[in-house]
Amino acid sequence: MPSDFIPLHAIPVVVVPAGLRAGELSGNAPALLREIAEMLRRLLSSNEPSAIDLQALPLTPADLAWLRDRLGEGEVSVALSADGDSSLDETACPGVWWVTHRNPQGAVVSEFIEVAYVPEVVRAPREDVVIGLESLESLSAELT
Amino acid sequence: MHGPLIETLARQGVTRRTFMKYCATLASMMALPPAAGRAMAEAMAAAPSASKRPSVIWLPFQECTGCTESITRSHSPTLEGLIFDVISLDYQETLMAAAGHQAEEALHAAMKANEGKYLLIVDGSIPLGLDGAYSCIGGKSNLETLKEVAKGAAAIVAMGSCAAYGGLPRANPNPTGAVSVADIIKDKPIINIPGCPPIPVVMTGVLAHFLTFGSLPELDKLGRPKAFYGETIHDRCYRRPFYDQGKFAKTFDDEGARNGWCLFELGCKGPITHNACATVKWNGGTSWPVESGHGCLGCSEPDFWDGGGFYKALSMPANPLKMVAGAAAVGVAVGVATSVLNRGKKGAARAAHEKTTLADLEK
Repeated sequence: MPSDFIPLHAIPVVVVPAGLRAGELSGNAPALLREIAEMLRRLLSSNEPSAIDLQALPLTPADLAWLRDRLGEGEVSVALSADGDSSLDETACPGVWWVTHRNPQGAVVSEFIEVAYVPEVVRAPREDVVIGLESLESLSAELT
Repeated sequence: MHGPLIETLARQGVTRRTFMKYCATLASMMALPPAAGRAMAEAMAAAPSASKRPSVIWLPFQECTGCTESITRSHSPTLEGLIFDVISLDYQETLMAAAGHQAEEALHAAMKANEGKYLLIVDGSIPLGLDGAYSCIGGKSNLETLKEVAKGAAAIVAMGSCAAYGGLPRANPNPTGAVSVADIIKDKPIINIPGCPPIPVVMTGVLAHFLTFGSLPELDKLGRPKAFYGETIHDRCYRRPFYDQGKFAKTFDDEGARNGWCLFELGCKGPITHNACATVKWNGGTSWPVESGHGCLGCSEPDFWDGGGFYKALSMPANPLKMVAGAAAVGVAVGVATSVLNRGKKGAARAAHEKTTLADLEK
């Protein structure tokens, strides 16, 4: 046995305070509230929608939870099933949407805060409506 | 396949909403502002779908097949996969069914039929030592093959750090005389997609860009697409706030490490490494090295293998390598403490290509 051998029980076990990492705020989130306010002013004055890419910012999970908590829950939640499930939830501030895109395996692929009256992806695209009409017409044609 | 790309995709069951979602995510991965997602959707939707799938020839040279391993991981049934269906991969030794003379015939048939139009992908470095005898395919040296196939290519993609910079085979003392694609081919547009290996979506994203827009993406001074390599790992790192607050892990098992603090003092090369790992992540977005508790090795930068030790802080003044020159100033404040700790190793580190030893790991 080497002289510098340390028995296993001699290694001190340090208990990390629960949630220290996940619960640590970076201090970067409050600034986003001001940015969202500015985006809402822009929407009101010029009808211009905008978005913040949450994955592009140095935010800890705690920051995101803090932000989501401050923005609150609104009246509308949209579930989008397109190559995986996405959720578009309006926050307690009307016009501010929390958008989470997932892949078919359920992993989050992108996350945004969108400021818009209605997120663009919710509107039925004109070209898809045309395709829908065509299939409806062929459906009624089969019935007659 | 005629008409706009979006119609081709629509026939494959891809709705416009799916396409918009894909473009929003792609823009996020490329670190572009969210508004770029919509611009991209419009441009890609309007892009004409080629009447014939463009030919792609993939040549493996002095490599470990890790790049191929990585790119095949992007083949889950996603939209990248569908866009990828738009190409005709005419030669790829690892993936193709043909072998021997049949494989070589397929290569030459594709080169002849698509002369001047095919996209050439190269992974692996090209050994020049012993007249290229270190790596031969079908009795020809890689040098001969590269020159022959590059002649008729529209553009060349140097996939992975070996093709882009020479990579591991070129590591000191470079026994095979390995060089990069750009060291040999001077008259063709070359896109470097470094990484060991590169991130799957970065590879398919660059190909999708070339095939949909018909042009090369904007490149930085090392020939890398700015969309993916425009910012450093450090700038996009979720642990960056801890760096700004001066909270660092000092060993891999201290409280700082357990708390997920910045790994700068443990040798993280994030501040000088340009790549998209921090946003795109790995294994389908599961995690990435820093999230797993290990510093960035800097694998998408030239000569990363000879960087003087993976576990040495960038701020160490003793570190003699040119790779670090630009970053030395970044960590001056924290560097003082680190350099004191490492004073004993200073002298040894002066040798230009010091190997990482067990002692380096046991700070």
